[in-house]
Amino acid sequence: MASVTLQDITKQYEDVTAVNDMNLEIRDGEFITFVGPSGCGKSTTMETIAGLTLPTEGAINIGDRDVTDLPPKDRGISMVFQNIALFPHMDVYENISFGLRLRKYDQEEIDRRVEEAADVVQLEGMMDRMPKEMSGGQRQRVAIARAIVREPDVFLMDEPLANLDAELRVHMRTQLQRLHRELDTTIIYVTHDQAQAMTMSDRIAVINGGVLQQVAPPLECYNEPANLFVAGFIGSPAMNFIEGEVIDGGFDSQYAQVDFDPATHGVSPGQDITVGIRPEDVFLEEDARKAASPTKAFDAVVDVIEPMGKEVNAYLLFDRDVEASAEGRGEGQLLINLAPDTDIAEGDDIRIVMDRENVHLFDRASGDAVTHSLE
Amino acid sequence: MSEQDRTDLAAMEKTEEPDLDRGVIEAWAAKMISNPERAYRATFYVATIFFLVTTLFPFYWLLMVALTPRSDLSSVGVLTPGGFNPGAFVEIFTRLPFHRYIFNSFLIAVVATVIVLFVASLAGYVFGRLRFRAKNVLLLSVLVTSFFPPAAFFVPLNRLFNQNIDILRPLMQDGSLYNTPYAIFIPLSALYLPLSIFILMTFYSQIPDGLEDAARVEGTTRLGALFRIIVPLSAPGVATAGVLTFITVYNEYFFSSLMTDGRPGSWAPMLEGILRFQGEFEVLFNLMAAASIVAVLPVAILVIVAQEKIVSGLTAGAVKE
Repeated sequence: MASVTLQDITKQYEDVTAVNDMNLEIRDGEFITFVGPSGCGKSTTMETIAGLTLPTEGAINIGDRDVTDLPPKDRGISMVFQNIALFPHMDVYENISFGLRLRKYDQEEIDRRVEEAADVVQLEGMMDRMPKEMSGGQRQRVAIARAIVREPDVFLMDEPLANLDAELRVHMRTQLQRLHRELDTTIIYVTHDQAQAMTMSDRIAVINGGVLQQVAPPLECYNEPANLFVAGFIGSPAMNFIEGEVIDGGFDSQYAQVDFDPATHGVSPGQDITVGIRPEDVFLEEDARKAASPTKAFDAVVDVIEPMGKEVNAYLLFDRDVEASAEGRGEGQLLINLAPDTDIAEGDDIRIVMDRENVHLFDRASGDAVTHSLE
Repeated sequence: MSEQDRTDLAAMEKTEEPDLDRGVIEAWAAKMISNPERAYRATFYVATIFFLVTTLFPFYWLLMVALTPRSDLSSVGVLTPGGFNPGAFVEIFTRLPFHRYIFNSFLIAVVATVIVLFVASLAGYVFGRLRFRAKNVLLLSVLVTSFFPPAAFFVPLNRLFNQNIDILRPLMQDGSLYNTPYAIFIPLSALYLPLSIFILMTFYSQIPDGLEDAARVEGTTRLGALFRIIVPLSAPGVATAGVLTFITVYNEYFFSSLMTDGRPGSWAPMLEGILRFQGEFEVLFNLMAAASIVAVLPVAILVIVAQEKIVSGLTAGAVKE
């Protein structure tokens, strides 16, 4: 049990800056997730916490100890790796007890702890199996047992579920949450999958290009993204963006107009801004009452419909001249969620409204959020 | 193709050209074509027998020479000895302390192998797993030394080892390394080091980074991770490097003979011992042959043992994760 503090951490490789001036306070007992696209510096950040790489600048504290120059073994951490990294020449017992044996615990204590850890991850009766005789999920459970058996202050998990199949991943996700509840230890979790970040964490640290974008609880990242990057990264399907500028009395763009008073929302006429709206906050005009505070309606054309069962994803074009991009999220396009029984067909002309309470405005020059509601 | 299909095919061929009159060879060739597995098996046996004969026959003949009494050496047959005198295997130890020569060679080879494996492990780790400036230049310069003919190093080393070095006086009686095992295994270790570095480097570089990271997080230092994780997982490579070094040093003659005066007490090696059976007026071929056979035994045993290690290392699926 310990807090972790990163102070001005910068990691510079020969020609790239992997992590740029990161400051972060991780609380005792917290489950925090570093999330971002691949190559964003989240793994490097974790490696600097682990001591596997040394930061070019900055300091790391675990608890009240400065660990910046300590080797990994003296930091009171344990780690679960993406490629699982069990020692292939050791059986399950030897793998789990490796750290304890190195620290010269007496045999009784080792046996007791290994049994306990194996119990937590349900590995009873597999102690003499070799890693190659086990399935991916079993191996991952051994790796987790190896991490918890030393009762570290901080757990580091680097994409631990990335190499598992989809079903197992969801199962292990709940197991990890249960584990966190049982152990009540600080867990730092790295993933590129925003769904894992959303579902498991107390707080999410969104990282892009080596820079910390936002640190907040999952729903806050979702409802009040700090900038364009967080807005586009958190949430699936992602938020729609409409680029335009502020005019007297609202927002204007080639395809859509929204009325609001610029002054109350801290923007001024002539400013380049981007409107962000999540797919579930757009409604058909006839369903406008579902929105807390509908905007005036826009014309749109239905391009592609994806029935998902509990909802329908509809890719819209603002008018028929818009050229649809392959991923359906380009300029002049809009993705919306509709109820599964909505009666629309591809090629239909429809009218839609947005929910003013959930319209986000971003300053395009800086990318920062200006407001998360027009009410 | 199943057995059934094949016989069907052969039968079809027969019905198509039933009256063709074939010579012996032609018939044999046709049989091989219709049943290629026989041809493969025949080729396998021919090749195996060829290699067995060329490698094992010299040993066999060595044994025949060793068993022949000294007076009948001119009548050794190709396959039979010229007499029966197993006493030669005892005589080599009574006439000369041949066991001492073997011990000298064995000890020198063991020490050299240990030194080479240890140093090459460290170097192999650095070259195989770390990234740093001028790595390739450094690696190349290490490898280049192994391309020099060993003789090129001999004169300077011989001068050096014959020098009386004051610092060494407490260790060596006269402060010179001549006639000590150091004079042999130091240059030999250095000479055979580059090859081992190269072998171990390629093996170590294949161990996933995650395993080393895991070991370091679990509680080892970098050095601990090398010897607890990377080396055991590279067992086949380590065994290969070790066996190669041991055999070359054990069999080495050039340096070993020039760095000592040839007496067993001066750490002269096994080959020197064999040559000692060559008197001023007479060459005792039977004793030389017997000594050669005895000298080969340690290496043969080592290779057999190490081979098991290599195979077990491979079947453990060592480098897979």
